[in-house]
Amino acid sequence: MSDSIVSIRDLHKTFLLSHSGSGSLKTAMLWWRKRRIERLEVLRGIDIEIKRGETVALVGRNGAGKSTLLALIARVYKPTSGEIRVNGRVAPLLELGAGFHPDLSGRENVFFNGVILGLTRKQILERTDAIIDFAELHRHIDAPVRSYSSGMLARLGFAVAVHVDAELLIVDEVLAVGDYAFEAKCFARINEFRAAGGSILFVSHNLDQARMLADRCVWLHHGVIEREGKPDEVLDAYMHGDAEVL
Amino acid sequence: MWAELKELWRFRELLISLTERELRIRYKNSALGFLWSLVNPLVTALVMSIVFKYFLSQGVGSYTLYVLAAYIPYAFFQFALMDSAQSILVSLPMVRKVYFPREVLPLAQIFANFIHLVLALGVFVVISILVWLRTPGEFPIRPTVVILPLVLLVNLALATGLSLIISALNTFYEDVKYIMGAVLYIMFFLTPVMYFSENVRHATSQMGPRGDLLYILYHLNPMATLCTTYKKVLLAPTPVRMGGETLQPLDLDWGVFGIAALMSFGILILGYHVFNRMKWRFVERP
Repeated sequence: MSDSIVSIRDLHKTFLLSHSGSGSLKTAMLWWRKRRIERLEVLRGIDIEIKRGETVALVGRNGAGKSTLLALIARVYKPTSGEIRVNGRVAPLLELGAGFHPDLSGRENVFFNGVILGLTRKQILERTDAIIDFAELHRHIDAPVRSYSSGMLARLGFAVAVHVDAELLIVDEVLAVGDYAFEAKCFARINEFRAAGGSILFVSHNLDQARMLADRCVWLHHGVIEREGKPDEVLDAYMHGDAEVL
Repeated sequence: MWAELKELWRFRELLISLTERELRIRYKNSALGFLWSLVNPLVTALVMSIVFKYFLSQGVGSYTLYVLAAYIPYAFFQFALMDSAQSILVSLPMVRKVYFPREVLPLAQIFANFIHLVLALGVFVVISILVWLRTPGEFPIRPTVVILPLVLLVNLALATGLSLIISALNTFYEDVKYIMGAVLYIMFFLTPVMYFSENVRHATSQMGPRGDLLYILYHLNPMATLCTTYKKVLLAPTPVRMGGETLQPLDLDWGVFGIAALMSFGILILGYHVFNRMKWRFVERP
């Protein structure tokens, strides 16, 4: 088995933006001639290698392509060109309840989320209790998810994601939820996960968090890697450079 | 296509759970629960029998069961397409975050509806036995019922193929579901649910060569052939009254059924192909 969990070569991603917003046949037919299609090159040649057990922080301004890169690694998008190789199970940490159905109970949603993230039904049933324990939702687990607060949803989502034996956890700005005690618990769990050889790729605008967690930092700017290396160096350069741009 | 099918097989647990979830959500907040899915065909059957008995009285036994035998599959077809049309749009937040074969979303809707179809046909059998107990005659369930699974399979293929195309298109153009609603409404009248294929045969046979063409065109709709097949497979042949004449029942035309089956599986393959070509663009929807 290779020692890198993700290896990316010369990755490009271009989106086609249509300004008429063809959400209906009418606009598509009326505007097909005048349609202005703009090509938006979000990623323009990215090379990244993530080793097993490594935690990498992605920083960059809005629109730099951070979320697109995460989505490409999670196989939500197809690359325009270039190559992504992922050697292991990836678990994206879902945004607040993105994978939850409001009418189903917390328990049913845990089951369903686990299956989406690639567990078999038997595996997820075996782990449901551990997940509920972790999320500290015993009292509410059989109530429909629509009655949950955002903190409860975040706890449940996080609990599922760290119980699916992922080898790479993808986190897009969702660590800043839950109260202080739960946040501490999340970090403890993340450290456990790393100690067991798991890799993490996360986006954060909280630079202190990035400094604290990451082994390596990648600064993305307009779809290319501006700089990568030790968190302190890259983050200092990023804060400095970003202040200049502003 | 084989690679896609293998990938789908890898995610079969997800498809099963989604189908279960669909069945569970549908009646989650209603007191009667699953029984609601039987209310619709039963009410239809009741209304039909009143209308046929008092307003369209044609003196040849009861048509209620014959109408019901075709109405249940037609309702499946209709609801399966309508539910799956929206399936991807509704789950777009999830589709944007997690990878899984996107076809599981419309497929789960189809399978959930298909389970309803099978259960409703079970209820249909019970009703026809009850009717037979009240008015004994020829036993209603025919030996031909053994080929019912084949008919169901063709019906499933047709509904799946169409729903793959429609759900993919509807993700980009939301007009598609309205167009489909209108087409399904028109199609209901162009499908022998309320009447018999014997009516169609008789009417077109009096129009000369143009009529023959019309008869063929009529049966290019696989759902028309399927509805006739359900009636003939499930129930005893019945004479049909039309304008003072009594039409003798026609035998099931296996050639026509074969063509409908071929068309249905063709549509299934085409639908899967279309869906696979479009599925990567769902998340990039403008």
